[in-house]
Amino acid sequence: MKKKLALFLAALMAMASLAGCGGTTAPPSSSATATQPSSTAATGDLTAEITWWSFPTFDDKTGTYDQKLIDAFNEKYPNITVKLEMIDFTSGPEKITTAIQGNTAPDVLFDAPGRIVDYGKSGVLANLNDLFTDEMKNDVGNPNIVEACGDGENYWMYPLSVAPFVMAYNKTLLEKEGLLDMLNLEGDRTWTTDEFTALNEALAAKGHTNGLVFCMDQGGDQGTRALIANLYSSSITNDSLTEYTINDANGVKAMQYVMDQVAAGNLGNGASYNGGGAIEQFVAGTVSSALLWSPGLDLNNKEALAANGIEAVAVPLPSDNGKPNATEYLVNGFCVFDNGDADKIAASKLFVEFVCDDAEWGPKNVVATNCFPARQSYGELYPGNENMAFYGSLSQYYGVYYNTIDGFASMRPAWFSNVQAALTGDKTAEQAMNDFVQDANKAIEAA
Amino acid sequence: MQQNKTVTKTGKRRRLGIRGRETLVSYLFMLPALLFFVAFVVGPILSGLYTSFFNYTARHNNFIGLGNYIELFQSEPFLKSLRNTVLLVIGVVPIIVLFSIFVSTIIYQKNPIIRSIFRGIFYLPVVTGTVAIVVVWKWIYDPLNGILNWALQAMGAIDQNIMWLGDKKYALLAIIVVLFTTSVGQPIILYVAALGNVDQSHIEAAQIDGATSWQVFRHIKWPAIMPTTLYVVVITTINSFQCFSLIQLLTGGGPNYNSSTIMYLVYEYAFKQSRFGYANAMGVILAIIIGVFSIIQFKFFGDKVEY
Repeated sequence: MKKKLALFLAALMAMASLAGCGGTTAPPSSSATATQPSSTAATGDLTAEITWWSFPTFDDKTGTYDQKLIDAFNEKYPNITVKLEMIDFTSGPEKITTAIQGNTAPDVLFDAPGRIVDYGKSGVLANLNDLFTDEMKNDVGNPNIVEACGDGENYWMYPLSVAPFVMAYNKTLLEKEGLLDMLNLEGDRTWTTDEFTALNEALAAKGHTNGLVFCMDQGGDQGTRALIANLYSSSITNDSLTEYTINDANGVKAMQYVMDQVAAGNLGNGASYNGGGAIEQFVAGTVSSALLWSPGLDLNNKEALAANGIEAVAVPLPSDNGKPNATEYLVNGFCVFDNGDADKIAASKLFVEFVCDDAEWGPKNVVATNCFPARQSYGELYPGNENMAFYGSLSQYYGVYYNTIDGFASMRPAWFSNVQAALTGDKTAEQAMNDFVQDANKAIEAA
Repeated sequence: MQQNKTVTKTGKRRRLGIRGRETLVSYLFMLPALLFFVAFVVGPILSGLYTSFFNYTARHNNFIGLGNYIELFQSEPFLKSLRNTVLLVIGVVPIIVLFSIFVSTIIYQKNPIIRSIFRGIFYLPVVTGTVAIVVVWKWIYDPLNGILNWALQAMGAIDQNIMWLGDKKYALLAIIVVLFTTSVGQPIILYVAALGNVDQSHIEAAQIDGATSWQVFRHIKWPAIMPTTLYVVVITTINSFQCFSLIQLLTGGGPNYNSSTIMYLVYEYAFKQSRFGYANAMGVILAIIIGVFSIIQFKFFGDKVEY
């Protein structure tokens, strides 16, 4: 009897492995367009309590700035209480997914279009169509940024700031080794794949480990996609975002180039690093370059770099013709969850408008992200800053913004696992790119 | 005679009534825990089983029958994860059991202070947060700055740095080592307690009769600690099957799913790709495998257990 009882308990424990996988919450139906704010919302005397989840994007990263922002908002809207909760980039996305499934999503989220538009398509957001006035669209100017905020039918994200993803070298090291002249530090600092190869070979010959081709997981994976897309002027997707195209001849050539450079020791094998880990190695001075960098990373790592005696210099990703037309870029913005309370939605929209459009706080908030304003009317926010002028000059090379493509989340594991397979010799460059495209296109169909 | 029978019957009824009331009270005591168990274990199990037959994602929730299960067995990541899961269990569980018995046998008769020190050392990884442990091990395994490569190179064992977590030859092994260090603490504590409870007079009698140390262990201690062994084997097996955080933090399942396990894949599909139905199908498969392993273990060890 005891044995049977013990066996039964063991079976239950085994079944308990399923316990975390449950959840029958049906995908919420979109009520965004049906939900109307109450009359008080229109008058501006709205009383509501909203929750704001924020990734550490503003300059202090601890939420202190975010709280100051709330205090400023409350001076204008004293009846709206904003509860701030900071989430981190590692566990934040899963936390949001869990909250959506558990109907405990926040009211406002500060994030990027990749996830936000996906939430919008899933029907859990309130659309922000009313905020996208003609004045706003004209002020933003760049149609790519406006399009990145929606899915063609609705706008789901209200943009605050924009910045390109680039790469960076250890300028101090290059100076020390007498190799600084191998970088183009004029104007938009563009350079060719051959020049990139020559510099990496020169550094490797002097015993340095170069940029890690990180692919442990999806952290920072846009960096390696942009690298491979730019090296020989390929593209991750087609312009209409209906299919992935990086398995074309140039994409395969670029993957082969990366494999060869890693094998030759001119680039670092980053199979056990993600983007964050690779950047840490760069900041620590262990490797000479980082294949993912941005104005935000510049700002975040300023103190650590200084402490390590390193001056970083940002450059665009190399390309065969010196025009990195597949440059990826970040768009920071806000979305509003439809939690079934019209007053909360209205209050959230007021908050979002305040953060992005307030005459005083709007520009201040953009600077706090160390990015460029989505709105052109904010003008030059970094006068005399040569580095920011460089970042700003790259907007001409912004590629197709594919982060809003259907099945984006499922594409990412397909990317890093195939890059891993290529770097570890499991697959040829062609197999890796073909398998990636096949899996990623399947993800579009399944979405 | 008739009267006696009635009395007997009445008495029996009275005894049954008392037993019934005792049973009822017992269930009432269990009720709060039972409610939690049903709500947070049984409910999600049934829910997980049910949704495994659906294309349940952030946008869809339509019935597809065995579609998820068919896709699973055509999926390279799942098949690799299945293989790794089994390898992890087979690789870790016997080593944990043998090592725990070995250490416990050595330390259980030492003086209490020494015994406590060893128990503390081995139990420390169990009570230390997984993230803290992983940070240390990541540093040990780091291909550029890691102490393991440094030590092996200093000893002349390797010429070039090894990418322990990024090389398919070593990634799973590296995880097994970490899993081993975090799993031996509890079995050692249990075995030390179990060995301490073995009747000393049996051991002394055997020794007087000329039994060797091995014979004493094989014929006296081993049968006496069999219930503990059964518990350790089953629990360690289940924990190994459910190994997730180490993999998530150390390798992310890579390279190319060569260190991924089913549990990790469940997480990846459920929380990164929002394919909840597909992830639940994996959970069902994992539960079945754990169940089968547990039954085999009970059959193998259960007959020899005397409670």
